[in-house]
Amino acid sequence: MAKSFSALVMFFVVMLGAFPAAAAPTPLDQVQQTVDKVLEVLRNKSMPVAEREDRLRTLVYDRFDFALMSQWTLGPYWRHADAQQRQRFIDLYSELLEANYLGKIEAYTDETVRYLGQKVENGRAEVETEVVTSNANIPLTYRLSRQGGEWKVYDVVIEGVSLVRNYRSTFGEIARKDGIEGLLQQVARKVEEQKAAAGKNGKKG
Amino acid sequence: MKTRIITLLVLLSFGLVPLARAAQEPFDPGPDPFAEEETGLRLPDPIEPVNRGIFWFNDKVYFYFLKPIARGYRVVPEPARVSVGKFFDNLKFPIRFVNNILQFKFRRAGVEVDRFAINSIVGLAGLFDPASRLPTLPKYPEDLGQTFGFYGAGQGFYLILPVLGPSSLRDGIGTLGDGFLDPVYYAGMKPLEEVGVKGAHTVNTLSLDKDTYEQIKKDALDPYLFIRNAYAQRRKAQVDK
Repeated sequence: MAKSFSALVMFFVVMLGAFPAAAAPTPLDQVQQTVDKVLEVLRNKSMPVAEREDRLRTLVYDRFDFALMSQWTLGPYWRHADAQQRQRFIDLYSELLEANYLGKIEAYTDETVRYLGQKVENGRAEVETEVVTSNANIPLTYRLSRQGGEWKVYDVVIEGVSLVRNYRSTFGEIARKDGIEGLLQQVARKVEEQKAAAGKNGKKG
Repeated sequence: MKTRIITLLVLLSFGLVPLARAAQEPFDPGPDPFAEEETGLRLPDPIEPVNRGIFWFNDKVYFYFLKPIARGYRVVPEPARVSVGKFFDNLKFPIRFVNNILQFKFRRAGVEVDRFAINSIVGLAGLFDPASRLPTLPKYPEDLGQTFGFYGAGQGFYLILPVLGPSSLRDGIGTLGDGFLDPVYYAGMKPLEEVGVKGAHTVNTLSLDKDTYEQIKKDALDPYLFIRNAYAQRRKAQVDK
């Protein structure tokens, strides 16, 4: 009993001692950690879809910074938005990205990911990877920003096309014409549309 | 006493995580990383109404003509279709070779020669791509539009070509020029047969595509803007490489 107790204490001491060391992993380590877990969930076709989506959501929300993505997607319009509009935008934009990308997990077949390297500079980093599919290798770069000991993804670049920059151009055009309120309404409408479509598919399948 | 120590330790180890998070709450994201490059990526679109018209037309061509053919053509097993795609790709070697030379990328031009030789002979006239298995022989795709970009030419303005899709003044002229480097042009075919061959290539590519355009149409707030920006970004990335 005394033995197992001291073992337990030792365990926690080691755990606590390990914290500072674990607090400084490289951006590549952290991306790899998340991506490997995501792939594990994607490959687990026996798990119910709803549960897989839940796990992916948790993994992605842990590694991505949606507030930061939102700020840089709105760009100059972020400054014109008030606190309440900003929060609405963060919520709607996250929902839109979720609807657009989380629904595609069934499309996964046998793709693997290769980690090519990382560039770190002034609290920003780029992690270069390659998605290997049956007939092509697709370059995919994660852009991260350091927040304390954690690296958080704020952009994904696929074959040279940045996701944030792409949304920024469309949203900027809409905000310029219809104002921030107009943009918020259009994003909300798209989210509803996507949810309705997903609901229909769910019933069919 | 023992249990109290354990409880304390457990609480401590789990409590540390939220504590660390709370400590870093006022986080300064730093300067906007997307601001400065905004100008380098601008793709003016002065003829947007015309482009949107052609975009609409291409949408119909896609859904009512090309896609149904591609879907029917999917009866051909996928590996065969992948090989057909590789065959066409191998044939376009002169375009890649000449444009690498025009950009003084001689080593890459040499790699393209090696790739063409290996894939034509070992890869049975390009049906297979054994060269890509060698890490020293990656593809170096270049075209005339990229060559113009290499010499500092901007895109001019956005231009959607009927059937062919997104392009620009610069890249459209490039596509025309590259046509003269395409072996199909010299195969002594009648114009209509040439169109047939190019159409076959397009249908083959579409048959291997996993409904990319359908997804964009479904996901984007404005598919026209989505594609315009993606085109501008992709071409800039290709020129910068």
